[in-house]
Amino acid sequence: MSGHHISTDKTLLSVAAALLALTILTVGVTYIHIPAPWNIITAMGIAVVKAGLVALFFMNLYWDERFNSMLLIAGLAFFGLLVALTLLDTLFRAEVIPAF
Amino acid sequence: MDTAESSSTSKKIQVQRFKPDDNPDKHYLNEETGLWAWLTTVDHKKIGVMFLSAVTFFFFIGGIMALLVRTELWTPAKTFIEANTYNQLFTLHGAIMVFLFLVPAVPAALGNFILPLQLGAKDVAFPKLNLLSFYLYLTGAFVAIFAILNGGIDTGWTFYTPYSSTTGGAVTTMVFGVFIIGFSSILTGVNFITTIHKLRAPGLTWDKLSLFSWSLYATSIIQILATPVLAITLALIGMERILGIGIFDPAMGGDPVLFQHFFWFYSHPAVYIMIVPGFGVVSEVISTFSRKHIFGYWAIALSSLAIAFISFLVWGHHMFVSGQASLASMVFSFLTFLVGIPTGIKMFNWTATLYKGSIDIKSPLLYIFGFFFLFLVGGLTGIVLASIALDVHLHDTYYVVAHFHFVMVGGMVMALLAGVHYWWPKITGRMYNEVMAKIACGIIFVGFNVTFLPQFVMGSQGMPRRYFNYIEQFQPFHQVSTIGSYILGLGFLMVFYYLVKSLFTGKKATANPWGSRALEWQINTRPPLHNFHHIPVIINGPYDYHKPMEEFQLGLAESTGDGHGQQSDIKVTSDGKEINAE
Amino acid sequence: MADHSSSTTHSRFFQHHFVDADQQFETAKMGMWIFLVTEILMFGGLFAAYIVFRLWYPDLFTQASTQLNTFWGGVNTVVLIGSSLTVAMAIKSAQLNQKKNIAINLGITLALAAVFMVIKYFEWTHKFELGIFPGQFYDFGGIEHEKANVFFSLYYLMTGLHGIHVLIGMGLMGWLLWRSLKNHFDSEYYTPIEITGLYWHLVDIIWIFLFPLFYLIE
Ligand code: HEM
Ligand SMILES: [Cu+2]
Repeated sequence: MSGHHISTDKTLLSVAAALLALTILTVGVTYIHIPAPWNIITAMGIAVVKAGLVALFFMNLYWDERFNSMLLIAGLAFFGLLVALTLLDTLFRAEVIPAF
Repeated sequence: MDTAESSSTSKKIQVQRFKPDDNPDKHYLNEETGLWAWLTTVDHKKIGVMFLSAVTFFFFIGGIMALLVRTELWTPAKTFIEANTYNQLFTLHGAIMVFLFLVPAVPAALGNFILPLQLGAKDVAFPKLNLLSFYLYLTGAFVAIFAILNGGIDTGWTFYTPYSSTTGGAVTTMVFGVFIIGFSSILTGVNFITTIHKLRAPGLTWDKLSLFSWSLYATSIIQILATPVLAITLALIGMERILGIGIFDPAMGGDPVLFQHFFWFYSHPAVYIMIVPGFGVVSEVISTFSRKHIFGYWAIALSSLAIAFISFLVWGHHMFVSGQASLASMVFSFLTFLVGIPTGIKMFNWTATLYKGSIDIKSPLLYIFGFFFLFLVGGLTGIVLASIALDVHLHDTYYVVAHFHFVMVGGMVMALLAGVHYWWPKITGRMYNEVMAKIACGIIFVGFNVTFLPQFVMGSQGMPRRYFNYIEQFQPFHQVSTIGSYILGLGFLMVFYYLVKSLFTGKKATANPWGSRALEWQINTRPPLHNFHHIPVIINGPYDYHKPMEEFQLGLAESTGDGHGQQSDIKVTSDGKEINAE
Repeated sequence: MADHSSSTTHSRFFQHHFVDADQQFETAKMGMWIFLVTEILMFGGLFAAYIVFRLWYPDLFTQASTQLNTFWGGVNTVVLIGSSLTVAMAIKSAQLNQKKNIAINLGITLALAAVFMVIKYFEWTHKFELGIFPGQFYDFGGIEHEKANVFFSLYYLMTGLHGIHVLIGMGLMGWLLWRSLKNHFDSEYYTPIEITGLYWHLVDIIWIFLFPLFYLIE
């Protein structure tokens, strides 16, 4: 089957190396104790970059039909909806009246 | 056979006239026979027929339970069954009707049969997964029945925690059964989306896609996005019961309202899994029997997608009195009102299609008229329920029961019946008794209203749902409702009777008894095993009633292009002049 | 994909309802992507529960995560990244018709997956020894928080569901390995490797998120 993208060893290995480096980085930054909200943001930021690398170059989204990327984005977007609208409740509940 | 040539910018396509056979000797039912061939078939039509039989079976089981529930409610106290049995009956009625009947009814039964025909495809994209989907459905159903016989369940179809995580009975088995059925539904969704994207015949561009296919597309999107969340939620209930994980159970540190969020994240969109394919049927039937191009094609197609999207934003309207934050309630209430917009768009376009059409009130259309009235009431009362202040009063009353029966039975079941009547000749090759069909439609319509209109009244007066006992003041309403349910049951039995009878004594159907322009009617009645002997080339749209019938027979033709790649890549001009019949 | 010049319609595994092998390949791939969407939302339910509880009880997560071993979690991350690499290599080998390399790469993937599960096994059993059982069986005094059991329920559920996916992936890899040894795959037909690979990468991605969410809380 011609016409499919064939990744070179170089691409695959550099992506793997980048993933490895980011893994070390994300463990490493825990030692410098970034203050509260930023530590989780950093950790998630690194995770997103890693996931993006896997999706783009291992899962070939970079070369693939756009629709497949849209599917991935849609999946994440609806997960986002689930979280966002649930938090709209769980973060804003009035304290339950003790007598109840 | 005449031939014609259609030239387009990229490819030349040899088009041959092709007249479908009315009653060919060979068709999908007799080409591979025997029980084993049926059980292992990957033919979407046979799988569709098997689904249709299965959902009909469960509809009757669920229906009998409903009649038992209604009979018990004849008197304010015990009539003939124990309170505990009553609880189990309404639970099973709901669970069977939702998971075993409504969700698969139109997509898996009618959709399976019709979708590939409407796309000019030989089968769905993954025929084996399609068969697997059917067996998952059966397995799930057996597990559910096993649960019923081994302890039963009394949680209601909604499985609310902490009751469901602490009550006795076979809840774990039951949720496992529903979990399996969920995967059946997911596979159907995966299959349909891929099929619509990849297997459209040459020339079948997105703007020629039938509205039934569009509605199945929207439905499949909901199925794949919502069902997995149900699966994990049910798994968590199982875990809660087995391990006491404390995610939902407040006694273990969890939050029961979180369960409701997860459950309704699936189950509100799921009500649209049930109704949106029905919308598709309406569009097909309306256009065919008004002999008119559907009004507002894109509005109808896109409003299905809009409904699919909005349906994910409104689930909190089931939780106004659950203790969720009032901020969330306000937002959910507002978003819920928005659903009315695309739904209204559809209603207006359908009525506009009828306007100045040459309307032929055959039984499928009559069922659709029933749909119009009942679904309108169902939808408008939904808007009433979406108003927080009213819902605090109406929540968990018979008003809600009436609301969702108006949409699910009045809307969806009427649309399903319309679809079954509409495609029956194609599926079985027989015509049913038209007079009886019309009478049955009338009986169902009357029976339905007698059953459910009183429920609005008693609900608004405070009659709670799922109660075994009630105060005497409500007895007249309950009795009228029970009588109505018998009439309704009679109507359904009648449909069953004349449809089955038609299989044996019905007149043979012609290839296109309604004179429809849609693709599935341009092939043999009782389609051949692989649907199309040649790859069809689609030149006209499914609602092009302004063009003469012969042009549609042109559409079914052989492609002599090199036919590679995505079929729909090949462009065929829709301009009739380009096709020169020889 | 633009190039349709090959006459590949006659592969042994070609199915009649497709026009050509390319269409069959693209269809299978899209089907898998749609399935992956369902996987995302299935895990999504658990991630949503995690987020809700973490925002409610931030202290709980900081305290309880000290019981998890960052080193072994990190090793497992690296193991899974390695296995993703070898799957990608297997696909590349198939595309280049290097049939022996397909089997070798699949074999390494399978082995790495097994390593992952062995490490998981030791992590879990170590916790059981401490009395950190899931749910109501939780019996550990080391964390001063009344909801400590909930954290570990989430931990067991999420890593457990992920582990089940790894096991399923191992089954699939084994099947692919067997088929590749029977010479089923070449540059004309490698659809099963491609789509199983997609599945495997998603399992990897999910771990990429689980790792910081459980092991790296300070
Ligand atoms: C305009 C459209 C609709 C609106 C605004 C709407 C609104 C609502 C609201 C607010 C409730 C909650 C009432 C309560 O529990 O207090 C409800 C319940 C319900 N609706 Fe709808 N609805 C709509 C359409 C539909 C459709 C199309 C279906 C199904 C085909 C449906 C099925 C149901 C079901 C099954 C329930 C009850 C669930 C239960 O508690 O057992 N609704 N609806
Ligand atoms: Cu709803």
